[in-house]
Parts: sequence; structure tokens; C-alpha cells
Amino acid sequence: MDITIKGLEHSYSKGTPFERKALSNINLSIPSGTFQTIIGHTGSGKSTLIQHLNGLLKPTQGSIQIGDFKIQAGVKEKRLKALRKHVGIVFQYPEHQLFEETIEKDILFGPLNFGVPEEEAKKRAARLIQQVGLDESYLSRSPFDLSGGQMRRVAIAGVLAMKPSILILDEPTAGLDPRGRREIMDLFYRLHEEEGLTTILVTHSMEDAARFSDDILIMEKGGIALQGGPETIFSNPEALKKLSLDVPETVQFIHRLEERFTKNLPHSVFTLEAAVDAALSILQKGEENS
Amino acid sequence: MQNIIIGQYVPGQSFIHKLDPRAKLITAFLFVIIVFLANNWITYALLGAFTLLAIFVSRLPLRYIYNGLKPILLVIILTFLLHVFLTKEGPLLFDWGFLEIYEGGVKQGVFISLRLLFLIMITSLLTLTTTPIDITVGIETLLGPMKKVGLPVHEFALMMSIALRFIPTLLEETEKIMKAQSARGAQFSSGPIKERLKSIVPLLVPLFVSAFKRAEDLAMAMEARGYRGGEGRTSIRLLKWSGKDTTLFVILLLLCISLLLLRS
Repeated sequence: MDITIKGLEHSYSKGTPFERKALSNINLSIPSGTFQTIIGHTGSGKSTLIQHLNGLLKPTQGSIQIGDFKIQAGVKEKRLKALRKHVGIVFQYPEHQLFEETIEKDILFGPLNFGVPEEEAKKRAARLIQQVGLDESYLSRSPFDLSGGQMRRVAIAGVLAMKPSILILDEPTAGLDPRGRREIMDLFYRLHEEEGLTTILVTHSMEDAARFSDDILIMEKGGIALQGGPETIFSNPEALKKLSLDVPETVQFIHRLEERFTKNLPHSVFTLEAAVDAALSILQKGEENS
Repeated sequence: MQNIIIGQYVPGQSFIHKLDPRAKLITAFLFVIIVFLANNWITYALLGAFTLLAIFVSRLPLRYIYNGLKPILLVIILTFLLHVFLTKEGPLLFDWGFLEIYEGGVKQGVFISLRLLFLIMITSLLTLTTTPIDITVGIETLLGPMKKVGLPVHEFALMMSIALRFIPTLLEETEKIMKAQSARGAQFSSGPIKERLKSIVPLLVPLFVSAFKRAEDLAMAMEARGYRGGEGRTSIRLLKWSGKDTTLFVILLLLCISLLLLRS
């Protein structure tokens, strides 16, 4: 499902002394199947923006078109529930949403709400619990006996069980250890590829942004500051610095190699492995020359 | 969620905002008592003038006062109707068979509703113009003498300020969990009543879990910073009694005397 956002504006607590404009004049289009990353400092409006994508927040101005659902300022959309079935959100610290007696029941909560037959939902739960890195014996346990990282995985399984076609991730790896981070991000990317999902990732990690994104959106003060593919965005470190953001370490490394050896290297180097390859290529060439 | 006015302070620089919280607390308390002195039109008019003046001086948008009244409006209307239909005093005004309305009933209805209205307005004015912390400090100082008889005044005040402090946090948390569960298809604001009642569980369980966790963390953090109860503890906020507060008391005294003189 394609997403088109036109002239979106949102103010919190409208009509009170606490009124605060969180988004202004956002125009954005995310074609189906894109991996879209959103970066920005705390309070830049990222979370506000994504909550519009399944009608949790209503625009105060403008419109959002998702597939054939349209959310418009001042118009009541009656099919919100149908929309939410297609748009899954993994919120920040999703483990806070767990509530059932057993993990299986918690994973089933979403699918059953959306009318998936119980048999089918249970099958999904059994498959997903393994996909998120736990085994089936966990299904009958209480979610409150788990460690924080495991709870996170269960909560993520709960969202994936709805089989959304658009998956929104709001800093899904915040507070996890490095290995957990990698595993979770790899899982999301694999799903994105295999199921042809449209994925929208909100993150602070430049490394993740560089590795996975088709398109990066940088937000500041409720507006769009920069937008483009990872190569475009990270080839301009000055613009990022102005927004007090960093380029990924691999990109920094490549830039320094270029300076040191006055050679041009490919700028699409975002993973550690690719950076190692690039460095090796310089070394090997150096050996050939000598 | 956003209509809840209890403990909702609206920042401002008015005369009322700047009053000492003790003065405001005592005034609100005394006002609750002297409201009962009024028993005829002129005394009610006086109370009304005092209330309206206070609201005017506070420079709060009227909408706030109205929002504070909204939940209680039904009670006021109900009280009014009960008095109108059930008090049988004075000359008969209307007579529709089984329904009889007497003049005394209407009068009584208006008076009691006004009384409620004034009470709510003055007390919401207190919370709208005073920060929760100031109210707590005020209560703690006012109740200070009770420490001598072994009342844990400091602990009460602390409990109150923590409770007040966490109202917005809990509301925020509620909203967050509601959003997370709505995204998973729970229905809180639409659909059949039965569904909506059932959706309370996915909201309350996580809310309780996090509230308990938060309480534990807070207790731990306080102990880590050496908190050991009220013994010998001073407050960073020093209350200062000023001319404004005395002015308020003079006005209150005048109001009280006029009420006593004018009541029938």
C-alpha cells in the first residue's frame, strides 16, 4: 500500500494554553515496499508523524492517504479498525503493552481482535515465537516472568502476528544489548524482504539507517530537514553536522581513507564488511604498486 | 483525557496566582463554611460577586472554570430539580395534576444550586492558580502544629505531592498503552459497551505493572539519595506572607461580617 501525506500539520492540546505545534506542512510519499527511515532528535515530531499513519492521531490540517484509506483533517474515518489491521506499530518499549496470563494469549490478542480464526492465529504465534528467537515452550509461560529483552521479543511477535502490510517501528531496539539489537534489526529486515512489507523505521542509529534504508527522512522541529537515499544523505556530512547529527562510523572511516590516500572510494559503503573490503582494496593496490 | 482539571495548574501572573498558598487554602476552607451563612437573595448575591470577582482577578479563561464545572453540572441540575419538585413551601406557582411547583421550592433550588456552583468554582480556582507543590507545602505548614500530637504530617504531604506529581505521568502512560492496544485492534472509544468493558483489562494490567515498578524505582532512588522521612527536614520553598494575603483576609472578613449582618 502506498502512503501519501499532503500538507500534514498537527498541534497537541489544541485550544488550550498548552497548545504546541508538533508537525507542520509535511509532504511525503512512501511507495509500497520501501524501507523508509526517519531520523531526528527527541521532540522533532517523528513519533507524532508515525502515529498519524494508523489514525491514532488525527491531523489538524492536511491529509494522509494509505492504500484506499484516507484520513483527513476534520473528517471522521469510520474504517480505522480495518486500517489498523494493515498498519502494525511496534511502539517504543513495546514490552509495556503485555498484559495476558500467557505469552500465547498475548500474541493472539491482535489477530483475534481483527477477526483471524483462532486456529490460524495459534499457528502464527507458534511460528513467530521462534522467529523472534524464543522457542515454543515459552508460549504457555507468563510474559511477566521474562527478562526485559525477552519481553520485547514477545511484544514484537504480538504486532507481527497481525500480519500487517505496513510495519512501523518506533526505536524498536532502544535499551537492548548490541547482540539483541542486531538480531531484532536483522529479523525486521528479513521480514521486510520476504513479505514485501513497507517498513518505516524511527531510529537514532545512523548505522541502522545506512544499512537498511531505501530512503532516509531527517526531521527537525516538526518539519522535514533532509530527504534522500543513504548515499545522498551521508555524502554530505556538513549538512548533517548542521543538524547536529553524525554520519555512520563506516562512512567516516571511508572519508578518512580517501583523504589519507587521495583516492576515490565507492560511497555506498555502509556495512562493516564492505568497509573492510574497501580498505583492503587500497592496501592491495598499494602492494601492487610498490 | 485532556478534560481532567483536578490538579491542573494554569500558569499565570495574576494577583491570585501570587497569593501565599496558605492564604488561598484558608480562604477556600473558610469560604466553604461561610457559604452556608447565605440564606436570602442579597447574601447569595454577595457570595456570587465575591466568586466572580475572584475569577475575574485570576484572569483565567472562563473555559477552564466551565471545564471544571462540567462533570458536576448534572449533579447541580439534579439537585435543582429535586428541590423544585419536592419542597412544598410558599404560594403555589404551577399545578399540573401530580406535579406541583411552589415558590419556596424554586427559591430553594436556585439557592442550593448556586451554593454548589460557588463551592466548585472557588475550589477549582484554588487548584487552577496554585501549583500542586505549593498546595502541598501550604498544607504541610498549616498542619505543622499537628506533628506534636504525633500526626505524620510530613509523610501525608509527601504522599500527596507524589500522588499529584504522578497524575500527569499516569495519564500519559494510559494514553500510550491505549495507543499500543488500539494499534492491536482494541476498541476503547467506539463499538458495543461489552467490547469496551473488556478492553479495560489490556489497559489496566500494564498500567498497574508500570505503576508498581515506578513506585519501587522511586522509593529506591529516594533512599539512595538519603531520604529518611521528615525528621529535621527543611523545605526549599519558603512561604512568604505578604500584604496581598492580608488584603485577601480583610476582604474575606468583610464578606463574612456582611453575610452575618444581611442574612435573614
